[in-house]
Amino acid sequence: MRNQEWNRRDFIVKPILWAGTASVIGKTQLLIAASVKPPLIQRTLGKTGITLPVVSMGVMNADIPGLLRHAYELGIRHFDTAAVYQQGRNEEMVGNVIKEMGVRDKVVVSTKQPSRGHSGNPAEAKQRFIDGVEASLRRLQMDHVDILYHHGVDSVEDANAEGPLEALQKLKKDGRTRFVGISTHRTVDVLNEAMRLEVFDVALVMLNYTMAHNAEVLSTIERAAKLGIGIVAMKTQAGGTIKPDPKLPKELRPESQTALLKWVLNHEFVTTAIPGFSTYEHLEQDFSVVRDLAYTDREKKFLANDSFVAEAEFCHQCGECKKDCPNQVDIPLLMRSHMYAVQYRNIGVARQTLASAAPGMGLDSCAGCDSCAVHCRTVQIGRKIDELKNLALEQAAI
Amino acid sequence: MKMVFCMMVLLISLASGSPVIRAQSFAALGSSQGTKTSNAVQLTSFLRQPLPGHAVAQGKPSTYNADTLYQYIDGGADIYLLYDFKTLLHEEFKSGTNELTVDLYDMGTGDDAFGIYSSERSPNYKFLSIGAEGYRATGILNFLAGQYYVKLSGSGLTTDKLLDEFARLLSSRIGGSRVIPPLLLRLPHQDRVPHSEQYIKKDPLGHAFLAPAYIVSYAQGREQMKLVVSVANDGPAAKARAEQFAKHFKQSGESASAPEFGENGMRGSNSFEGHVISRTRGRYLIAVFNPGQTGAGILQAATRSLP
Repeated sequence: MRNQEWNRRDFIVKPILWAGTASVIGKTQLLIAASVKPPLIQRTLGKTGITLPVVSMGVMNADIPGLLRHAYELGIRHFDTAAVYQQGRNEEMVGNVIKEMGVRDKVVVSTKQPSRGHSGNPAEAKQRFIDGVEASLRRLQMDHVDILYHHGVDSVEDANAEGPLEALQKLKKDGRTRFVGISTHRTVDVLNEAMRLEVFDVALVMLNYTMAHNAEVLSTIERAAKLGIGIVAMKTQAGGTIKPDPKLPKELRPESQTALLKWVLNHEFVTTAIPGFSTYEHLEQDFSVVRDLAYTDREKKFLANDSFVAEAEFCHQCGECKKDCPNQVDIPLLMRSHMYAVQYRNIGVARQTLASAAPGMGLDSCAGCDSCAVHCRTVQIGRKIDELKNLALEQAAI
Repeated sequence: MKMVFCMMVLLISLASGSPVIRAQSFAALGSSQGTKTSNAVQLTSFLRQPLPGHAVAQGKPSTYNADTLYQYIDGGADIYLLYDFKTLLHEEFKSGTNELTVDLYDMGTGDDAFGIYSSERSPNYKFLSIGAEGYRATGILNFLAGQYYVKLSGSGLTTDKLLDEFARLLSSRIGGSRVIPPLLLRLPHQDRVPHSEQYIKKDPLGHAFLAPAYIVSYAQGREQMKLVVSVANDGPAAKARAEQFAKHFKQSGESASAPEFGENGMRGSNSFEGHVISRTRGRYLIAVFNPGQTGAGILQAATRSLP
């Protein structure tokens, strides 16, 4: 066997060459790793076969076509609009941009048609619904949409409305929509009915961190997903700022928004969320979660924040509690005041809210009760009223 | 002694949970409840009898505020809230075989009312001289009057006539400003796309720092341009906006100083907004998107027109 004999030159030069080569290879690998991002997290929408990135776009504003273009550039593939958004201007903008970009076959477009406020018999309601959808398709410059929702269904009765149900099925059969859906803020009741009806392919539901303790909502959505109804989540970050009054300072930092969105998307029964960003900054911020849903340390800290967790008991202002109060107190108003005082830390607005109560229906009327007996599925009303009473005493002492 | 007595009264009141103290501690600042009530009363007064076509109300009117508007128009409420929506009065009427829905939106200010009105109108509508401006489309007639945005919709054999009569009556009862925001009237008129003016209170064209802004579209041949006038508090604030604008384009595409346009002149472009030229003058940042051949002229004409 012949051994390779190294002379002195080999002994010195070759290791140097090898080390240099290894270094170059190592750095190249690092560069490649840095430039190769993890793939977008994608999920399948129920039984539709549609696969989407977990972040989509709720198109809020008709005047920012650039936002839609940039969303597409980043990788968003689902755009949600509605007939009532800016009286059709929103659909027009979506249609114009998608046509101009030539990407109709690459995106999933949903729109929504309401039936609220219409009188008349089912046949008339059905025709009005169909006419409304045809108008939407003209504005969108499309011969079909991918998902057509019955918009804003907030009661079991509305979910069962014969006219819209028949219209949806006809429009699907005629190819004017690939799939039909239902959008609702009354998740438990309406989604249970949707499951019973076995008509809907997709459900657009409100889901955010303020519902973290609402086992009924979460289990209902999960059950619908298991039955094959595709779940799209809306109002995903509303819980962080409730319904922010533009005059109130936003106290929450960017990591709060990504934390809240990740919380929703960490429920695998949610296919995608449609946050309604209206700036390029927020678009990029929201889309930043699409490759990795693990919480950062800052996000963990935000979600673990005691006062925020306490405020996750979100009053949905449904007003059902009022009938159980012996003093006819305006409980939703008191809950709003509590939100301003505790979450927004704006005592001034909290005071104004309390002061706006009708005579005999404000906090003063709670004075006669040692504790509040009104029950709510999501909010500990008694605790919050006690906190308001204590705050009132503190303020009086100042 | 007096001080001690007052303190004792205060302490006793606190200990007994005096409602008087509580009421005072959370006393209305200004008259928020009073304002809300007067909004609804004012709106209701616009719909007093007599009404055209002997229209009769079908049930009681509904009112909505910023917290409850979504119950009526769902996600469509969001943009109304951006314009500081105050109160909506919703009422339904019947006149013969016609059914009519009246929605009276109190937006608080003329600019806010124009803002939401302009976000919903299309240059393709049939425009009417009602209030500051109005338009008709199938089954609807909407118009702007002062701080109010009025939306009428109906169905029936003689709906158009009824809508028209209702609109004119309501407009005369409301009164208010008969013009769109004055700054928009000053901007160049040549090649302006009719009815394209907008007032954007929040996040104009996707940029929070540009708010508020006035926008007008221009067209010359096949060129379509958008003029944006962003109103800052003062000169230094406008300059800061210009710098942020330039930075945005530098980060997303290209940006270069363009002194030929004037103060803080800039030329920029990216893949999703296209080309833009801009400058400042006093408290204004003025920009033209997709300027083409004539945009520089519009930029300068707009600059000269500003107060």
